[in-house]
Amino acid sequence: MKNLYYKYYPTAAIILSAIIIWCFFQFWYPYHFFFQEQNQIFLWSWDYITTYTDKSGGLARFVGDFLTQFYYYLFAGATILTVCLLIIACLLYKALINFKVSKPVALLLALFVMALAAICHFSTSYRLSGTISIMGWLILFWVVSIIRKKVLKLSALVCCLLPCYLLFGSPAIAKIQMPDFVIEKDFAVDCEYHFGHYDKVIQLVESQDRWTDQMVFFYNLAQAQRGQLPDHLLRFTPTQLGTFYQIGPETPMLIIRNMNELYWALGDMTFTERAAMMTNVFSHNNRNVRMMQRLAECNYVSGDSLAAEKYLRILDKTFVYARWADNVRQNGKTIYQQKMQMVNRHDTISITDNAHLLMMQLLDANPNNTIALDYILCSTLVLKDIASFKRDYDRYCIDTNNPRLKTLYQEALCIWLAGTNAPQQEWEKYIKRGDVFQRFQQYNLQRGNANFKDTYWYYFDKIKAPEI
Amino acid sequence: MKKILSLLTILAMLASCTPTPENVHQSNALPPIYPDYCDVTIPQNIAPLNFLLRADCEAIEVKAGDITINARGNEAVFDIDDWKALLQQSADKSIEVTVSALINGQWTAYKPFTWQVVSDKVDPYLTYRLIEPDYEIWNNVQIQQRCVENFDVNAIGHYEKLENRCMNCHTFANQNPQLSMMYVRGPGGGAILNKNGMLSKLNIPGSVYFGFSPTGRYITFSTQKIIPAFHSDPSKRLEVYDSESNVCVADMQEHRIFTSPLLSDSLKFETFPTFSPDGKYIYYCAADSVSLPRDIKQLQYSLVRIAFDEKTGTIGTQVDTLYHQRSVCHPRVSPDGKFILFTVADYGTFPIWHPEADLQMLNLQTGKIDTLGIVNSAKSDTYHSWSSNSRWFVFASKRDDGLYGKPYFCYIDKQGKAHKPFCLPQAHPLFYDNNLKSFNAPELGKGKVPFDVDDVAKAMKKESVNFK
Repeated sequence: MKNLYYKYYPTAAIILSAIIIWCFFQFWYPYHFFFQEQNQIFLWSWDYITTYTDKSGGLARFVGDFLTQFYYYLFAGATILTVCLLIIACLLYKALINFKVSKPVALLLALFVMALAAICHFSTSYRLSGTISIMGWLILFWVVSIIRKKVLKLSALVCCLLPCYLLFGSPAIAKIQMPDFVIEKDFAVDCEYHFGHYDKVIQLVESQDRWTDQMVFFYNLAQAQRGQLPDHLLRFTPTQLGTFYQIGPETPMLIIRNMNELYWALGDMTFTERAAMMTNVFSHNNRNVRMMQRLAECNYVSGDSLAAEKYLRILDKTFVYARWADNVRQNGKTIYQQKMQMVNRHDTISITDNAHLLMMQLLDANPNNTIALDYILCSTLVLKDIASFKRDYDRYCIDTNNPRLKTLYQEALCIWLAGTNAPQQEWEKYIKRGDVFQRFQQYNLQRGNANFKDTYWYYFDKIKAPEI
Repeated sequence: MKKILSLLTILAMLASCTPTPENVHQSNALPPIYPDYCDVTIPQNIAPLNFLLRADCEAIEVKAGDITINARGNEAVFDIDDWKALLQQSADKSIEVTVSALINGQWTAYKPFTWQVVSDKVDPYLTYRLIEPDYEIWNNVQIQQRCVENFDVNAIGHYEKLENRCMNCHTFANQNPQLSMMYVRGPGGGAILNKNGMLSKLNIPGSVYFGFSPTGRYITFSTQKIIPAFHSDPSKRLEVYDSESNVCVADMQEHRIFTSPLLSDSLKFETFPTFSPDGKYIYYCAADSVSLPRDIKQLQYSLVRIAFDEKTGTIGTQVDTLYHQRSVCHPRVSPDGKFILFTVADYGTFPIWHPEADLQMLNLQTGKIDTLGIVNSAKSDTYHSWSSNSRWFVFASKRDDGLYGKPYFCYIDKQGKAHKPFCLPQAHPLFYDNNLKSFNAPELGKGKVPFDVDDVAKAMKKESVNFK
């Protein structure tokens, strides 16, 4: 029994470590994998594959990028990484044993390298190719270790150093960091939003004790998709709509990517395409699969079939998205029917990506664009710009005879009506909700009372508006 | 040895298994090949016109003169030695090309087409910038020089060596690689002047578009404040205009800048200056200033010229208008002085995103305009450069997808007639499908530039030569 234990405890320790690593990445860190997968693209095309020979470490990058594309699938990310780490640990352990290192020391070293390589993956910028590179060098180390004659060992090492460097490059280690569970949650809401799981986005954000701009941004976007943005705008303060951003050379890639989602939801195809191209610019190898999909679909919606086909052809060469591309070709008209109806065909030129202006253009072209309507009204309310809110409400709700009787808007209108000493008929024209009017009267008797925390009046009086 | 023999046998069997046409069905349609090389005129010194068939085919057979290619899949890739021999024996003759494809088990022979080979050679080097088509934000920009006689590419400006700066406007004097200039933008940047391989950094304030005088002593350049703007109609995308622009001349010997009130009229926009090959004129584009961006569609640039005396460095006193029917950009005079080629668009000064942008050619001897119907496409065709023998020009066309500019070469025969252009061939027929960068500002040169990326990086560290 003791012999058996002595024989198998290293294997058991390595396998146990692998299981722990797999569980950690699968259950606590899965969205990191999806983020990495979404920010690259791998094409199964000879022309593309040959680009890996441009620099040293081509094989490591090729294998890393090839495997990363499968991170798209549930369980694949954690499994691929764990298998790689398992191979690393085994190679190192075996090689050290061959070099006559004692079992406990060899095991400790193998586990240490395995853990170090796993820790590197806490960082989103650390790519799988780094781990493959380590694996490549360990293969060389192991091969050298199995050669018995010293001269041969040395010759093999000398002969293989350059090829190994060309194939695997220098092994890269990421800056050691703790797992970032906040970013993991950011990636989670982004991922679930991407798949249209709006309920899950909402549940994810609402279950948090602390929330980030990214979480609130997607929370609002998910609510807007359900037509409920004004009902939940004040749930998190300061809230984050994304409409106050302007993209420039210093804008982080994640923000540009979020803006892409916002423009797509609003229906502005010019800016959707621009943000997608800019996200590509700052992605690994200047391309990423999510933006490739987005560019295909936004051009499809715009009616630019040549441009859409350009991106669909690229997606045809992926293992994961070829079917998606085919589906767009065959059923695009049905899939994007609603978006196509919203496309702005009125041409105006603006020198700014000011979202308010863009939303006005979209609403002038299509007053039924509810997402744009909610975003434009909510943006002015977040800034406490009641005059602009009233102007936009008149323009897109009253003048079009399409009043949007959301509590938030009714509350904001109360502020405007009270602030301008509006006559009775004005109140009757705008305030259609008796409950709101009654509560407004109550609020006026106890302004700033925390019992009214859920109202726009409280926000208006007590909460600081964002500075833009 | 046995293993090698087995491998060779397997390879031989695989090669012999490539299907060849039998029971061929004749089609009256031209083959759907990409790039479109059907019935094009090509120079004797061009690299192989590798192409692919846009069809889901199992095998392809291509017969071009003595060459027969039988391949699995849809790609036709020529052996470069066979190709050179074919073109050598076909000078000033035409080559008939037949394409047959095996689709769904049935061989189809498409209607044959021809390649008209001319002995007038195109300048062997093409310099261009690779950048995302959005141009606003860049990452990993490169300026490359490609030998069009084969597939050799070398970078002359590379982001890795130049702190990821923007680089642009690489231009030769008389297509001479010994005298050229390019810009490296950003703090500490400047114009990198190449004189016989000696690089110097010049500080020419505000210089954007420029051209050398025939002796190389002067450059004429435009200074402008460039404003990007966005169309709300997604099919029009980006617009760029100048809020002010003037034309100046820089004396490269005395390092001084001068202009004329006629070239820097505050009520006009002047841009895109270029010297005539005899140095007697500066051709440029001029427009009456309008309120921008509001009246962008009224912004109409005319093609004009003003006399210049290279001996005394004096600018003339009269501006002649040569063309004003549409808005003109990028005038370039052919080296033999017979033609001036320019881009026309409906309005503005940034034809890259104008699908209606076309090339036109003015015969400077007869004053006749050629609208170049065979050259232009439904998408933007612009930014051109002449070959030193005036028989060829290259231009950037977005005809394939409306987004990514690619270099197209066009032959002008002795009678001044334009022939159908062809796209710069690539080693891999799939290259353009997978590529996500525009070939921006293609410029032809008679030879390889005598410097490389490292020389540019060193020149960037030098003190600038300031101009008064």
